[in-house]
Formats: sequence, structure tokens, C-alpha cells
Amino acid sequence: MNGNGSVTQIVPLAALLSKKPEELETMDNDELVAAYQSLRDQEDGARGSYPNIGRLYGTTLEREKDRREIRAQAESSDAEMHAWYDRARNEPCTWWLKNHLVAKHALETCIACGVCTSQCPAAHYFAEYNPRTIVDAALSQDEERLVELLKSDVLWYCGQCGSCIPMCPRENNLMGLVSSLRFLAQLKGYHLSSVRGRQQYAMRHLCGGNLWNRGFSLYFRNVTAEGHPDFGPRYARYQSEAEGQMIRLGASPDRPGNFGGRKLSPQTLAEFRSCLVSGGTLVLWNQLENHASEDAKKSGVSIEEYHNRVHREG
Amino acid sequence: MATATIAPEKIKEIPENNYFLTPSCILGAVNPGTEALIGRIYDLLGLHWKAAGDSPESQCTCCTGFSSHGDLISIESTLLVTARLWSVAAEMGLENITTACVTSYAIHNECLEMYEREPGLEERVDGWLRQACGRRLRIPKHVVHGSDILYRYREALAEKLRYRLVDHKTGHALRIVDHVGCHYAKVFPKKSIGGAESCDVLTGPIRSWGGETVDYPERRHCCGMGFRQCAIRPNRGYTMACVLKKLESMEPWKPDAILTNCPGCNLFLDKEQWAILQITGVEYNVPTLSYTELAGLLLGWDPYDVVGIQSHTVPVEPLLDKIGIPYDKSKEWLPKEWLTQEKVEVA
Repeated sequence: MNGNGSVTQIVPLAALLSKKPEELETMDNDELVAAYQSLRDQEDGARGSYPNIGRLYGTTLEREKDRREIRAQAESSDAEMHAWYDRARNEPCTWWLKNHLVAKHALETCIACGVCTSQCPAAHYFAEYNPRTIVDAALSQDEERLVELLKSDVLWYCGQCGSCIPMCPRENNLMGLVSSLRFLAQLKGYHLSSVRGRQQYAMRHLCGGNLWNRGFSLYFRNVTAEGHPDFGPRYARYQSEAEGQMIRLGASPDRPGNFGGRKLSPQTLAEFRSCLVSGGTLVLWNQLENHASEDAKKSGVSIEEYHNRVHREG
Repeated sequence: MATATIAPEKIKEIPENNYFLTPSCILGAVNPGTEALIGRIYDLLGLHWKAAGDSPESQCTCCTGFSSHGDLISIESTLLVTARLWSVAAEMGLENITTACVTSYAIHNECLEMYEREPGLEERVDGWLRQACGRRLRIPKHVVHGSDILYRYREALAEKLRYRLVDHKTGHALRIVDHVGCHYAKVFPKKSIGGAESCDVLTGPIRSWGGETVDYPERRHCCGMGFRQCAIRPNRGYTMACVLKKLESMEPWKPDAILTNCPGCNLFLDKEQWAILQITGVEYNVPTLSYTELAGLLLGWDPYDVVGIQSHTVPVEPLLDKIGIPYDKSKEWLPKEWLTQEKVEVA
């Protein structure tokens, strides 16, 4: 159904995928979302699979559909946490540290022993990275210092491994603190000040697109040989046969089943999406779109060109 | 009988049976055999488990882990997604969550810890969940990792093995280095068998299955997967550097294989060995296997049709030759020469 309550005619897949970004802009929101969903759920009865999932993923079409769908859902959400995150983006960073569920439990005190830094793989790799100073900034309650941190590249160096956790004599959760501060940086748009921060727009459409459309953070078609030249020729060969190999080994690429690549039912996907909406995640995703759109305009590029650029920056 | 090295108080309670298995995004995408093997091993041990539910279409979604550590998901959304998974498990009459992924293991445990730390959170999440999808919050009795279950049943599995971790020509124990996933051992060290420093979740089975373990200097170092570090191409040098650090550290012991319990570690410790060959010219070629892949091979299951060693970049066949595991040479995936070819035309 479209916004007027009339039945939308579904555009054929090939015609939809061949549309240029400017042509997609002329499509009605509801028409685009309905066409995508209908095509995604078309079954190839003979093979028992849903081949359009693989054809739609990661396309310009999917990203444009997601932008509009997320914006519409974000604007109409009345979830408690949605309102909370909407408020949080306009509060000082010090407010966040006292009120965000992860941040407020992450730190007790710090004796500046530096064991977090000595155990940190990222500090071994990036000479300018010192996680102890992030703890110090968080405990300082100094708004200016926190803003500087949120605008920096170093905030994005942590590998989220948690090596800092077991040895900390104060049982601080530095890994959780860093992730929480990164979330805040994106809400406020401070991530645009750093190369590593801007990469989050690529992450949003990679992992976020997978979550929203397929119910997973990683989809088996993401790990392409072209995208992973570091994996070498043996992987390229395996990946060229991935679907067949997965079926051979008991996985379920783009079809119902228990394991890798499984297709979720529309009901399960709807429940999963409701969990994302109710938890306030869409405030972040919508803000990422708004910030990216403004940044793209400043640079004089389209949003798609911007998306492709932040993937390669660094 | 292998000698125990872990004090009993450092071994947590691992449920005996009745598991809800949550699959892994990474394993499912790149090492699909590893994931399906978990259920196959549970079946061999006669354990009751479910993953998808009774309908053909799975109700099991991502836990949000990769995206959560990719800084894209609010903690409240993660609480709701895990609460939904617990509700699905409870509907099936299962109160023990076993995860295929170590990040899922940490995510589920983080949620449990949040409920303990934050007064009133349980009631709030229950209300949100009811509103979001008509379900109720049902706190599970246990959250453990698949490798915990194999640790519990390592001796029972040892009795079923067709092969042992022994060089069949010399009779010497094979030298296996373990790499425990950071999100298993470090995020909740008190819930790790043996803690973060002396984790036994993989070395226990290695000993039970006839192998020799090595406490190499960088044993506890992260593989460098790093979520956004591996996912965004310009950041991937970090991952490669971490893998190289580990390979250089274990090399003096000439390990016969690396054993992992983490999807990301199993992926990158294996596949970055090709990039490291290109960068350094050094061929480490240490086969990297997950705990279920190793168990499957030792149980005599087909290396290609069941275990899926063809999904690995470093050839596993030399390890099979050492153990004396026969395999159909005509099915051999690719000759070792494929490792050194710079450009290969893929059909």
C-alpha cells in the first residue's frame, strides 16, 4: 500500500536495480519500501531459496530505501529511549557520562597505573594512542577536553577486545566507555572531524544495512575477494563457490534454516526491528544520515559518492 | 587421563544438557562447517538442543554484537534483542543459552550484568519488550559458550575419537597452541575457565585429546579483528600487525596447529597468514582450526563434506597427514602452490 491507501504496483527487480540515484529520488517512499520488501521475499520454489536477497544487498537502491525508511520510522517513533537519545544529543558530554547506561557504570576511579595501556593491542600499534588518557578525560568532567576527544581520530583506534579489563585494579570497563563515547560523538556529529570517525557512515550501511534488512551484522556475501585482497587466492576460489560450499556444510544461504546466511521470516525480522526502534538506535542512524548529508554537500559530492569515499579514507 | 591444571573453584558451573544455540554471523559467513559441527557434536553426545525452533524459518537473529562493538547500536536495543532471544529459548523450554560466538557470549553476559547493576532495568526492559513484540523478559539460567560445553565433555569425547593429537609416524604428541577469544576470557574473566591469564577452555581438550600445549609469550594477545578495524579496509593493517605479532611469538615452538574458540580469531589468524607472506616473505603456514573443526577431524568426520577445511586459507591437509587421517586426494581442495600465486584467475 502507498501513503494514499491504494495498492502499489511492484516494479520489476531489474528495472528497480537499474535506476540511477536521481531516478530513485522520484519514487514515493512507500512505493520504494514496498517494492524492496516484495522482491526480497520472492521465493525461487525450485531451489527453495530467496535469490533476490543477494541481488538487493549493498546496492544503491538498498541504501536509499534504508535512508527513507529509517527517517520515517525515526520521525514517528514515540519510544521512551528514542526520546532519551534525542535529548542526549543536545546535552553536554558530562551529562552523558553521568546518565548513559554503559558510561555511568564503566568507571570507578583510576590510580593512573597505566596497566590498561600496557595491555592494549591498539596502544602497541598506534604510537599516539594511550587509553589511560581517555579514562583521565572522562573523569576530568572537563567539557572542552571531552569535545576534543570526541573529535579526534584516537577515539576510533580501540579494537574493542577488552584486553584492558581483566588487569585493571579498579575493574573499570574501558572498552565499554570507549564505545559509549563513540556513540555520543556520532549523535553530536563530532565524528565528522576525524577520518576514522567519518568511516562510521560506511559501517552504518554495512552492518546497519545487514541488521535492518537481514537480521545479522554480517552477511556472507559481504566478505568478497575484491574487498579482502589480504585473504589471497585460496580464499578467492572458496568465495567464488561460497553458496554451494555453505549448502554442502549445512548452512542456509538465502534460505530457511538454522545456520549461516539463513533467511528470517518477515515476522522475526519485524520483531527484531522493533527491538532496534524501541531501544533508540534509530536516533543514531538518522543522525548519521543527517550529518553525512551535510558533509557531502559541503564537499560538493552526492551522498553515494560520500559513502564510497569514507569506505576508502584512512 | 590428562592432568588437570585448573583449581576446581576456577571452573564455573556448565549446564549438563538442554541448550538453546545462538549461531554466529562470522562463522556462518566464512566457516560454515564450524558452526554446523556444534549441533553435530551435541547430537553425538546425546544432548538435547535447539537453534531455529520448530518452524523451518529460524527465529534466531544476530545478538547485535559486531554492530554493538562497531558503535552502531544502543545498549537498550542490545538488551531488547537479547531479551527477545531469551524469550524464544524459553518458549522452547530451554533456559541454557550456548553461543557459537564469543562476542555473543560476552554480549549476553553483559546484559545479565546490567540487570544486576541497574535497579529497575529488568522491569523497564520487560515493558519495552512487551510493547515492541509482545514478548516477556525471561532471564536464562546459564549463558555459556559452545567451547564450555566441549570442555565439560572433553573426556567423553576423547573416548569417541578415532584419532588423537599424535604424530602417527613418531608417536610424539602434536604441539597445539591455543588462542582463546578475548570476549570469552577477558571481558568476564571470572566466567572464563581458569580466568583470563590461564584460561583452560582450549588447552583442557588439547591435553585430553593427546596433544601438547604451549604457553607462548603472546598467547593472550588479541588477533586484531577489532570490528571496525577489520571491516573498513584502510584500518586492516592493525589486524595484520596483531596476527604477525602472534605468529612471530609462537614460531620458535614450531606449532602443528592453532586452536581457537572465536569466529573472528579463526578467520583472521588463518587468512592473514597469506597477507603476512606477501609482506614479510615468511611462510608460517600454521593450520588454524576451531575447537569443533578439530573435534570433527579427530572423530573421523569427512574433512571436506562435514568439517569444511576447504574454507581455510592455510592448507589443513599437512596436519591430517601428521595425524594419519586419510582423505580423498581427489577432493583435496587446492595445492599449496595457491598460497604463493599472486594472481589467480577465478572461474
